[in-house]
Amino acid sequence: MTDPKASTSLAQSIARRDFIRKAASGTVIAAFGGGLYALSDHLTSEAKAQTRADGRARIPPGQRVISALKPMGGQPGDPSRGNVKIKIHGEVDNPFEVDFRELLAMDVVDTRADVHCVTGWTMLDARWKGVRVKDLAAKAGLKKTARHVIFEAAHGYTANVRLDEGLADNVLVTWEHDGRPLRRPHGAPVRALVPDLYFWKSSKWLTGIRFTRRDQPGYWETRGYNNHADPWKEERYA
Amino acid sequence: MPEAAPSDPPAKSAKRKKKFKWRPWLRALHRDLGYLAVGLTFVYALSGLAVNHIADWDPNFSNFEREFVVEAPLPEGDEQAAAAIVLSAAGIDETPLDVYSPADGELEITLETSTLFVATETGKVYEEGQKERFALRAANWLHLNRGKKAWTWFADGYAGALILLAVSGMFMIPGRKGLVGRGAVLVIAGIAIPLAYLAYVGGP
Repeated sequence: MTDPKASTSLAQSIARRDFIRKAASGTVIAAFGGGLYALSDHLTSEAKAQTRADGRARIPPGQRVISALKPMGGQPGDPSRGNVKIKIHGEVDNPFEVDFRELLAMDVVDTRADVHCVTGWTMLDARWKGVRVKDLAAKAGLKKTARHVIFEAAHGYTANVRLDEGLADNVLVTWEHDGRPLRRPHGAPVRALVPDLYFWKSSKWLTGIRFTRRDQPGYWETRGYNNHADPWKEERYA
Repeated sequence: MPEAAPSDPPAKSAKRKKKFKWRPWLRALHRDLGYLAVGLTFVYALSGLAVNHIADWDPNFSNFEREFVVEAPLPEGDEQAAAAIVLSAAGIDETPLDVYSPADGELEITLETSTLFVATETGKVYEEGQKERFALRAANWLHLNRGKKAWTWFADGYAGALILLAVSGMFMIPGRKGLVGRGAVLVIAGIAIPLAYLAYVGGP
């Protein structure tokens, strides 16, 4: 006959061993997964060691480098380049509208810029083709009274940017990304590009650029997001 | 035999004992509000999950792209004819929303869900587009109140209903120890979690 005490002790021992085995397997799997994650994030590690020409860190705090733009939603506008009409207006002497062919006929720049999304991803060295906002402003005859730039987009979306930041050399009206026409989820046919602010300032499905005397917080800025949106200061929320 | 007078003492005492019972009414209110809220709860919960992870996927559309080559050169000067050849080669039976040539040697065909970029001299075609995730996009549209107008009232009503559900839920079934038992622990835990998180991250 089996000794009940010995049987209970054996059962406990098996249960303990089983628990230890499962715990060890779990630890190994978790460690392996973590290791893979760490390996896959070498892009972020490399970027963290770099510094920009302006002395700031290549990657702003709290960001992780990814290899392709992510679609971040929004209400798409008309996707046809044939229907592009970007209105340049507000505090300017000569407001005008520019269509896609006229954009192509302007001084087109092909440049590289890092972009940083408020949700925590950064894409480095993204290639962009477009025209500088400062060239459009010059063509319209920007008044000295202008202090802010409002990027207007489909369905009433707007994003506000300080004038000096909106007229920086790397701020574009762009229609090509990484050698391809801009894709619909990324604002085709034409979007703004303001690389040194969080990416929501780079309005997709652009319809106009309005220069204003007074600041006019835009879609996200009136919904709890920071009015300025400097990634290096982690100005994510209001 | 005469009927008992309404002022008879036993009947009067029975009437006095009949107290208003509020719990059954609360349960009925909670149940009926719960039924009404089922549809919208699914809309908000599924959309909330989808939009919460917007950095990982597109909750409204599935995106696609492809490349192919058609016989070249395509007819010069007749954009519609060139577009028809490209669409036929691509197996697309759809009237374009727009056919546009932004520059010499380039043709763009805009369809409802995609755009084809054609190099007319080489016949190279790049198509990019997106397909709607119908139910999820509709839920997101409602959740984010993109339509505004009357939906604001529905959304406000739903928020009010959720508050009523939460409050009525606390009182509709009396626990053995009333509200001071397990219910209190869970309510405190529910309030403490967001407060603890706020304290952890240092506030807004």
